Amino acid sequence: MNASIRRLFYVMAILFGSLVAVLAWWQVVQTDNLAENPLNTRKVFAQMRIERGLLLDADRGELANNRREGELYYREYPAGDLAPQLLGYSDPVYGRVGLELSQNDYLTGTAGEMELLNAVNMIMGRESRGADVSLTLDPQVQRTALGELQDLGKRGAVVVIDVETGAVLAMASAPTYDPNLLEENWVQLNSDPGAPLLNRATQGLYTPGSAFKLITTAAALESGEFTPESKFTDNEGSIEIYGNTINNWRDLPFGEHDFSEAFSQSINTTYAQVGDRLGQDRLIEYMRNFGLYEKPPFDLSPDEMVASGRYEEGGLASPADELDPVQVAWTAIGQENVQVTPLQMAMIAQAIANGGEMMEPYVVDSISDFDGTIIKQAIPTVWKRPIEAATARDITGMMIKVVNEGTGIKAKTDKVQIAAKTGTAEVDGRGPNAWFVGFAPAEDPKVAIAVVIEDADAGGGMAGPVARKTLLAALGL
Amino acid sequence: MQRNRELVNFLPVLLLMVIGFASVYAARSEQIDASSLSYGLFFVALFVGAHLLLRLAAPHSDPYLLPLAALLSALGIMMIYRIDPELAAAQTTWLLVGLGLFAAIVIFLRDVRKLDDYIYLLGVLGILLLVLTIIVGDEVNGARLWIRFAGMSIQPGEFAKVLIIIFLAGYLNSKRELLSTTTWHLAGIPMPALKHLGPLVTMWGLSLALLLLMNDFGTSLLFFGTFLAMTYAATGRLAYPIIGGALFSGGAILAYMTRTTVHTRVDIWLNPWPEASGSGYQIVQSIFAISDGGLFGAGLGKGYLLFQSGETIIPALHTDFIFSAIAEELGLVGATALIIIYLLLSYRGFKIAIASDDGFSKLLAVGLAAGLALQTFVILGGVIKLIPLTGITLPFVSYGGSSIVANYASLALLIIISNRSNAGARR
Repeated sequence: MNASIRRLFYVMAILFGSLVAVLAWWQVVQTDNLAENPLNTRKVFAQMRIERGLLLDADRGELANNRREGELYYREYPAGDLAPQLLGYSDPVYGRVGLELSQNDYLTGTAGEMELLNAVNMIMGRESRGADVSLTLDPQVQRTALGELQDLGKRGAVVVIDVETGAVLAMASAPTYDPNLLEENWVQLNSDPGAPLLNRATQGLYTPGSAFKLITTAAALESGEFTPESKFTDNEGSIEIYGNTINNWRDLPFGEHDFSEAFSQSINTTYAQVGDRLGQDRLIEYMRNFGLYEKPPFDLSPDEMVASGRYEEGGLASPADELDPVQVAWTAIGQENVQVTPLQMAMIAQAIANGGEMMEPYVVDSISDFDGTIIKQAIPTVWKRPIEAATARDITGMMIKVVNEGTGIKAKTDKVQIAAKTGTAEVDGRGPNAWFVGFAPAEDPKVAIAVVIEDADAGGGMAGPVARKTLLAALGL
Repeated sequence: MQRNRELVNFLPVLLLMVIGFASVYAARSEQIDASSLSYGLFFVALFVGAHLLLRLAAPHSDPYLLPLAALLSALGIMMIYRIDPELAAAQTTWLLVGLGLFAAIVIFLRDVRKLDDYIYLLGVLGILLLVLTIIVGDEVNGARLWIRFAGMSIQPGEFAKVLIIIFLAGYLNSKRELLSTTTWHLAGIPMPALKHLGPLVTMWGLSLALLLLMNDFGTSLLFFGTFLAMTYAATGRLAYPIIGGALFSGGAILAYMTRTTVHTRVDIWLNPWPEASGSGYQIVQSIFAISDGGLFGAGLGKGYLLFQSGETIIPALHTDFIFSAIAEELGLVGATALIIIYLLLSYRGFKIAIASDDGFSKLLAVGLAAGLALQTFVILGGVIKLIPLTGITLPFVSYGGSSIVANYASLALLIIISNRSNAGARR
């Protein structure tokens, strides 16, 4: 028996050895990976001993501050449900998202730039605290945008960008939630079909519908084959393209018209033909010029940004994918598989308003340590030059017509000339997405806007008034 | 002299105990009261008493068993004290009860061979305890392991394990010759006659019943694994572990396909991450805690184990998941040291088996040592995601009266086996 007892002990020793091997895997090999896992709140908890910097709006109002309990600091959000998807949260149980995540190194004072300051503070015996992050977010504009969406009782998003700098003045996403009640409402927030935790402005993918005609128009005008005065005829209200029928809205025929009327009345039959003439390569080229197929450079973590473009089987398709002519025609009118974010559409409006220069969007204006020294200041930067200034002027003229006599008439106001393109994107199984993409004042653009409303009725109808009121708030009118 | 060696072995244990309690107190002095340090003193008194008892009643017994068990108990009480000082008081009381039973066995039983006459009675008692659990037990996390009695929660499985090991030692000892006889070969391995596979099939059926009725893979694996180890030790025939392993795998697959609780446990073992806030929460948090410990650990009292409210982040931290807390605060170095302590303890058990001169004592020692090692492997393997997680205690360390009392009873059996064979060797 003794020989088999000895062998049994060896078996046990091997089993115990395997325990040590697996432990070494977790505690040595995987330790850094797991510490960074977003499900792991240990780092958040450790950093709760640091007094986090404040998040401040453009009027220096506090959007996030701290409540001290014992030796720990808990985050509070005085503005409540105003912009939780952008600001994010910093919670010991649920971790961090939004600016609380992307700006965490500054807010906790652990960024490289702050090491020297921290060392000085330690020597001087002063307590370190995180740096304050000042945003470009304008609380009035944000409140107006969110309030308009909430009054409609619809899901959607509004993005407002300063035309000259690219500064984000508002980024509203509805439905919203109160981050102060995160722990109480966590289960409900996660199961809510309205997905209140989702930042629709940067992560919501929507079919652009006719709002996409901004890109098709830019490509057409710069091809040299079309001008705003180019003539078209539409007697049917529908057109057959390679055996596939494309209809106007309610199959309305428009008869003799020019390109700018095709734009202001959003005539699908004409745009399908224009798209066919331009072909896939030129269409895709202008999508890329306007920044589609890339995540916009922005102050949020790349995980919270999605790229716009053609999507196939749930993923971003390669711009090099070969399309058939029917797909090209549908793409030209913003249907088929094109998916865009509200932020991307606001950037397109900003580029047209800014004479063809697309700025990098940003919401972090400056970061200052607690004695007020600025350690980082945003510098407006041109991201792309998608179109010539002359093209931008032509498109602006066409966009004015949209508001004055076209599909955007509900946004018309005596106070300022608004220029815009609307869209009513068909969505399977529910009401269409209503788009309003534009800027004001048309003659000297200051602010650009994109509004999207889910499950809406026709384009200018719902999104137009939201855009008008938000633009007026942004312009102080 | 064995007892002086034991006394010397105790010195590092007591030193570690003092350092441990002092560092937990230093790290958490804001939350805990200095008077709770008295558990430390009480603990020292208990083991000095146990040592003196052995000097009188079992002077030739193995001098490593009690210090190793004391070290494990000390670490357990220290961690429990760190998690919740009030639970440490209860655990110390259970330790007193456990050592009381330990003393009673050492003083009154003296020779384990007396048990050989009652093996069927003890075996039936063991089975009854399990049946009772299945009938009146409470379901915790889908597994039926606890019964409530007089305001206490009891885990009868802990006692059933010891009783069934005693039964198997007697049974296998009496049937050893018969079971060792081989009549045919399969792939070159000598095989026993099919009619002698009866006990194997019976134990398999019992384990399978445990698995299907208690929904607990770990307890089932522990019972059947211990049985196979004892059968192999008794017969030296590889056929038993091979056939048994195949039968058990078949049963496990059947359970996986038919029982949702077992199915879920296996699925979250394979990939807990998508269920990180649901059914996989416990194991995911355990992995985070363990990995956070790194090589040297966060330090006693300094790990991230509790929410602000004092609630533990990992549910069942003081019982099934106490190893996760140890691995976080003591790191790979401390956790490996703990695993080595268990290996040493089971090594002493196997060594006592080898030194013992009668078949019953030998097989009993093998069963107790293998049972201890397998139980340790099943729960540690579970919390580090090496095998599917199961709700059993870490011997001597986890919080829980049944576990402590049953483990000290097992220890007492090993003590008296070693006392007799060492005394015989000296003569």
